[in-house]
Amino acid sequence: MSSPLVLAVPAKGRLQENAEAFFARAGLTLIKPRGARDYRGAISGLDGIEVAYLSAAEITSQLAAGAVHLGVTGEDLVREMIPDTEKRVVLIEGLGFGFANVVVAVPQAWIDVRTMADVDDVATAFRQHHDRKMRVATKYINLTRDFLSAHGVIDYRIIESSGATEGAPAAGTAEMIVDITTTGATLAANGLKVVEDGTILRSQANLVAARGAAWGTQERDLARVVLDRVAAQARARAFREVRARFAAGTDMLVESAKRKFAIEAPFGGPTSSGMLILHCPPDQVYALTSFLRENGAEAVAVAELGYVFSRDNPLYAKLEAGL
Amino acid sequence: MDASVTTQRQEPDARADTLVASYERAGYTRVAPALLQPAEPFLDLSGEDIRRRMYLTTTPDGGEFCLRPDLTIPVSRDYLASGLAGKPAGFCYLGPVFRHRSDAPAEFLQAGIESFGRSDKAAADAEMLSLGLEATAHYGLATPDIQIGDVALFASLVAGLDLPAAWKRRLIKDFNRKANLAQDLDRLVLGGNNARPEYQGVLAALAGSDPKGAHALVTDLLSIAGINAIGGRSIGEIADRFLEQSALGASARLPRDVRRLIERFLAIQGDPDGATAALRALTSEANMTSALVPALDQFESRTGFLEARGVDLKKVRFSTAFGRGFDYYTGLVFELTDPKRTGDPLVAGGRYDGLLTRLGASDPTPAVGFAVWIERLGVYGGGS
Repeated sequence: MSSPLVLAVPAKGRLQENAEAFFARAGLTLIKPRGARDYRGAISGLDGIEVAYLSAAEITSQLAAGAVHLGVTGEDLVREMIPDTEKRVVLIEGLGFGFANVVVAVPQAWIDVRTMADVDDVATAFRQHHDRKMRVATKYINLTRDFLSAHGVIDYRIIESSGATEGAPAAGTAEMIVDITTTGATLAANGLKVVEDGTILRSQANLVAARGAAWGTQERDLARVVLDRVAAQARARAFREVRARFAAGTDMLVESAKRKFAIEAPFGGPTSSGMLILHCPPDQVYALTSFLRENGAEAVAVAELGYVFSRDNPLYAKLEAGL
Repeated sequence: MDASVTTQRQEPDARADTLVASYERAGYTRVAPALLQPAEPFLDLSGEDIRRRMYLTTTPDGGEFCLRPDLTIPVSRDYLASGLAGKPAGFCYLGPVFRHRSDAPAEFLQAGIESFGRSDKAAADAEMLSLGLEATAHYGLATPDIQIGDVALFASLVAGLDLPAAWKRRLIKDFNRKANLAQDLDRLVLGGNNARPEYQGVLAALAGSDPKGAHALVTDLLSIAGINAIGGRSIGEIADRFLEQSALGASARLPRDVRRLIERFLAIQGDPDGATAALRALTSEANMTSALVPALDQFESRTGFLEARGVDLKKVRFSTAFGRGFDYYTGLVFELTDPKRTGDPLVAGGRYDGLLTRLGASDPTPAVGFAVWIERLGVYGGGS
């Protein structure tokens, strides 16, 4: 009896729904055999994996400590909470949900401030003027420190804020803030604007592996299976299948389409009967179909893909390289 | 776990005690400030880089405290709280300080001196440097490298330049931050309103108008928008800087002649007498003699006191560009090092005349002092 591979998944809210939907699309159904209130689960039909439902912050610290093998959490938390991020975890793949930017925001009334160079100058002037340092409210202490330091800002101090950070300037507890935003609406509602070059991080939910976890043969095999399915699903989502039939030779055509539309030809050139199957990024589909018809295709069919499995397993390769 | 935290307490050795006893005999009162200090003064005066390395704790009612990361601020606070505040007084200390360091224990020993309220600044400066030299000599290193700088020289130069206030702020800030400002000069660019197409019409309309009128207009516009002081900056402040930025004009780069002057200024180094001569020549050439005379006179007077104390001036390396990461220094800065070993400072100090005011002193109070890194000196064999 060996210990299971532990996959940590957000315990509540939209992040949980999105994570479950993501794994479901990959053919990995998360189940709670002991009832919905249980914080331990499993993956249907895949033995040896334990699903741990935790808060995103807990997932991050458990990954840092190596107490779970894989976890779904925001890159913002990973970069903030784990010093020397690359030494402790491997960011395997962005999952396409939980998008949020960590930004520097100042009061809209600061019409003299647009860039980080302005922020730097205002901070210095503020200290001369008020004989104290400008205060930056944030829960992202490390990200803020590193970013401001990279921009040469020194005349500031951080006020730790655990919630409703965007209200700090209006409440008079800070001059400016560093916080996450998706649309900027909350910032605007609080009379704040994002500094132009003040985006610290474009974050999304990530599948993250802990380098410090126990990675035996069995854990690696299970991770390979999970990542193979995730990769097959990710690749399927990134492409549409385009089928067409040609009467004449099409070798040159495939090469030229590859250059023009970033397509892939997973099964090589056309079959002896002239059938050609291409994988095309969704935003290029119409252009490609026009191109194919102009070059002799009688009909072109486009379909969504379920999974695309290939011999290589890029996500697992990334994990293995990081361990 | 955190490798820098060790439960082994480093007790002051007998050699350190004899050193501090000699400071007591020289007239400095030995003090032992509390280990646990309010965090606020350190956070406000030392910057976020220090905060990163501080051991902070919070009381149940929300007060922030820290294990003292140095002794200058604690000794200064105790002096201000005493009946001696504002009067001349000198203190010496020996005890642990606490800073997170990835490659060394977080708790380590510092000895040092802080001298407050002396108006004979040049003499006090020279005395600090020579007492610092006694510390290395006590441990068996008679001739360390002596690196000195003088923050007041650069401050006087910048104050005397014909530049917008925004540039002066920027230059002083960058000098405090980097040991090597010269290399960055041509990359320095101010973020100007001129880069903002949407404001250009307004700025063009305001250009050349009466500054008071322009200020009143911008202030009124902000008030009409229902915006009052938000985030601690007043509308007047915002309007001032908005107009100041627009006045900077199309060129956001430092004027070429100013850049050249600063570069030549920051290239001056060598023994104190040679450097003084070079500084006097440069400033007279640039027609800036009057701006720099007070600082240069102070510098020469200090050099004279150093010589009188028997410091070998040929061993002193002065550099105009030698600044310190702590922005509270206002005059002399010095470091004693042994380049044959690590080159880390063994003794470091300087003048910080602005610190006591920022800690709440009612009158400006001169202050100068230094700290001795006891463990770094412990590798030398002397002083038993």
